[in-house]
Amino acid sequence: MQWTTLFKKELLENWRNKKWIWFPLVMILIAIMDPLTTYYMPLIIDAVGGMPEGTVFELPEFTPTDVIMMSLGQYSIIGVIVIALISMGTIAGERKSGVSELILVKPVSYKNYILSKWASLNVLVWFAACLGLFASWYYVNILFGELSFLALLQIIFFYGLWLTFVLSLSIFYNALLKSPGLILFATIATIVTMSIVTQIFSHVLSWSPNKLSSHIIEMLQTDQIGSALWGAAVITVALSIGLIISAIYIFRKKEMAA
Amino acid sequence: MPDIISSDLLLILLPIMVIQLILMIVALVDWVKAEETNGPKWVWLVIILLLNIIGPVIYFIFGRRQK
Repeated sequence: MQWTTLFKKELLENWRNKKWIWFPLVMILIAIMDPLTTYYMPLIIDAVGGMPEGTVFELPEFTPTDVIMMSLGQYSIIGVIVIALISMGTIAGERKSGVSELILVKPVSYKNYILSKWASLNVLVWFAACLGLFASWYYVNILFGELSFLALLQIIFFYGLWLTFVLSLSIFYNALLKSPGLILFATIATIVTMSIVTQIFSHVLSWSPNKLSSHIIEMLQTDQIGSALWGAAVITVALSIGLIISAIYIFRKKEMAA
Repeated sequence: MPDIISSDLLLILLPIMVIQLILMIVALVDWVKAEETNGPKWVWLVIILLLNIIGPVIYFIFGRRQK
């Protein structure tokens, strides 16, 4: 089947350019940094020194939920930037180097071309996010107290949807724009704008994708999946699908014209 | 007392250091194999070796030349 072939080609390419190695490592690093430094903060302050004798620090007590949310907080900033970086050239770069012409001159449908790219990056992002959040969950359990495995799975599932949305946005801009730098900028600018708008109209937009993290906190605190979380999840999936369909449509139109 | 502190600190940093080391080695192997990079090759060596964590990552993103 054509789709499978293209999908395998994308996976192989991401393996060859080492994304499968460095991206999961970076995601693990981002996720474990906060739990570790938070727990050892007194030690680190001691080791770095420079504090006058007798200084007493009142460090707040952190619950497991607080700490795993710190990892998600890092993902929402650095993670999103790295995802935008790994996906910024996936179509635009091939257009520039002429590879996409080599592929599309054969009877390859535009739909399969874009879907294979989207799917292969999704597999990579979900894999890396699973590893990273699992590592963070592991440290949280050792250092801060228990957080159930079910909770971890729920976090991965709902937060993964947000990462898929970021990826879909980047693929959409890949179809629309030609320069990888511009795609990176547009993706991040869109995410930032969305988060500002969500904050301003937060009472109306409780189902905005940006609200996924705050609904996840609620889920961890109340131990049940609220309707707002499901709403935000459904909207996120719908927006991702919409973005990909428009990406295919735009790409087809542009390539036909070129 | 200082010994306990430093060994504890080492334990904290161990996972981070291991990940950093793997990143650097993979980047170096790739750098050695690469015939051409974006920009002068030796500059990327300096970046990979001197910038912790970020160095290898920016090499993978910007330094590798697509064939």
